[in-house]
Amino acid sequence: MNERLEYWVKIPVGPIHPALEEPEKFIITLDGERIINVDVKLGYNLRGIEWIAMRRNWIQVLYLVERICGICSFSHNHTYSRAVEEMAGIEVPERAEYIRAIFGELERVHSHLLNLGVAGHAIGYDTVLHLTWLARERVMDILEAMGGNRVNYAINMIGGVRRDLEEKHRRMLLDMVKYYREEVMPKIEEIFLYDPTIEARLRDAGVIPKRIAIEYSAQGPTARGSGVKKDVRYNEKLGVYPDLGVKPITPKEFTGVIKGDVFDRMVVRVGELWQSLDIIEHALDQMPEGKIKAFAKDNMVIFKLKKAEGEGIGRYEAPRGELLHYVRAEKGRDGPAKWKAREPTFPNLFAVARALVGEQVADIPVAIASIDPCLSCTDRVAIVDAETGKKKILTEEDLLRESYKKTKEINPKLKIKPERIGVGCMRGGVL
Amino acid sequence: MTPEEFLERIKEKFDVEAHISENKMPHPRRRVWITVGKDEFKELMRLIKEIDQRAQFSIIIGEDRGDYLSAEYHLELFYEQEPSLSIIVSTSCSKEDPTLPTITDIFPSSLPYEREIQEFLGIFFEGIPDPRRLFLPDDFPDGIYPLRLDEKGIKPEMIKNAGHPYNLKKGGAQ
Repeated sequence: MNERLEYWVKIPVGPIHPALEEPEKFIITLDGERIINVDVKLGYNLRGIEWIAMRRNWIQVLYLVERICGICSFSHNHTYSRAVEEMAGIEVPERAEYIRAIFGELERVHSHLLNLGVAGHAIGYDTVLHLTWLARERVMDILEAMGGNRVNYAINMIGGVRRDLEEKHRRMLLDMVKYYREEVMPKIEEIFLYDPTIEARLRDAGVIPKRIAIEYSAQGPTARGSGVKKDVRYNEKLGVYPDLGVKPITPKEFTGVIKGDVFDRMVVRVGELWQSLDIIEHALDQMPEGKIKAFAKDNMVIFKLKKAEGEGIGRYEAPRGELLHYVRAEKGRDGPAKWKAREPTFPNLFAVARALVGEQVADIPVAIASIDPCLSCTDRVAIVDAETGKKKILTEEDLLRESYKKTKEINPKLKIKPERIGVGCMRGGVL
Repeated sequence: MTPEEFLERIKEKFDVEAHISENKMPHPRRRVWITVGKDEFKELMRLIKEIDQRAQFSIIIGEDRGDYLSAEYHLELFYEQEPSLSIIVSTSCSKEDPTLPTITDIFPSSLPYEREIQEFLGIFFEGIPDPRRLFLPDDFPDGIYPLRLDEKGIKPEMIKNAGHPYNLKKGGAQ
């Protein structure tokens, strides 16, 4: 009986899952507490958008791509517009480029604040969640005032933007920047840079080494957290961003070390919040007067694009990483002959799946939340015991309880109890 | 490395069609478009990896072009400098023999994209380490590739009334 008994247990995490925002499935093979393999299965939210886009015209696709994702709704139609502009050689007025930059940064602010809150919730710090989501309301209100909607603001048009920035918007934006600089950011820095529990819990969890980040093409804050200096706005020389002084942010500027763990990815997001506020301010200062559209009417766009021919690629740094859209036009066709998009979560998922190998089960929620997956919310995990084949259902509460237990071992004074709050289910309707 | 230098380096070894495009932004952006045959394709990818060890693979754009299938690969080189080098390598295969060599041994991150193209377009990659489906459900019929435009694509009967509340006829789709 001295032989060591070894058996592996396979746990499917998902398609409906805690701390995840959209449906996807991780099949995790366990040896005791240690993860030895992670397999990813996608497609639970497959809507066939690429197939639909083959049957739409240029303007309709613009609104279709916006509905890929509620959080990155600006990024998608921005990138699509850029691809079409590159294909047809349309010149965008400078004022429109500045308005695009401002909207892009507002979206980045609300997306990063959301993710910082989700990461706090995943380890049981619900105070952080309430703080960041309260602060996020301010930028959502601004977006509503400027774009007409909290999400899907439809600000881009091929060859420009649809709405101009007025004097009252400018005052609101400056007020908002002041509010974030003075009231929100000090608190967030205090939490994510100096709090001992956060550091103990997020340091060395879900490490993605630089080599893996490059090999698996990690994008956005996931790559920059591992020390890969890569920011599409910077190395694509996109629009007017070079004039606004955009630089890839790595955790080195804040903490002095790069480890590539969950903590570093959060530090990058905090740094990018500061950068976004700077960019908004610079853009408001430098913005010239002038036109906001290359074409006065939308039907002129279709008329021009019907005669266009060729291929174009648009790239943009969405809050989660590099977003890429491709279009190809054929003469005489009023829609794209081919349109394809690549979202940053796709490569990031495979990078984090590789990074989870060797970690513990309790680290799954926070490691997956740390790449800010753009996927709907999930509720139960089935555990199948390999030996007996018996099924045990773990709910979101159970998995969160495991995660909270680990946090409590680090800080016993913490009072937390796992409860379902529907994080990430912005479209699901619990909150 | 500028796009011209890069193209020179490629043309030393391969006889390929290539051009450099430029767009009209405040800061012009240039891309290199290369068209290569199926046989030389893998060697070309090896050369690109040699030029920059840390080249990032971004996307495979697979397309049904009527009588043949094309695949375009976007890669980014020297991304730690400004501006980086953005290149698009396109290759194609016939519909009778829809196979391309896999490049997962050169760029490991290309595996999910190859699996995606394989199930959606029916281009098979020779030597792919993991040929399972990624997006489509396991009970999706075999031999149907949703993005094909010919008889192997989705037929009108498959999508008739799919999720459309107003067109529903009594007794289901007809």
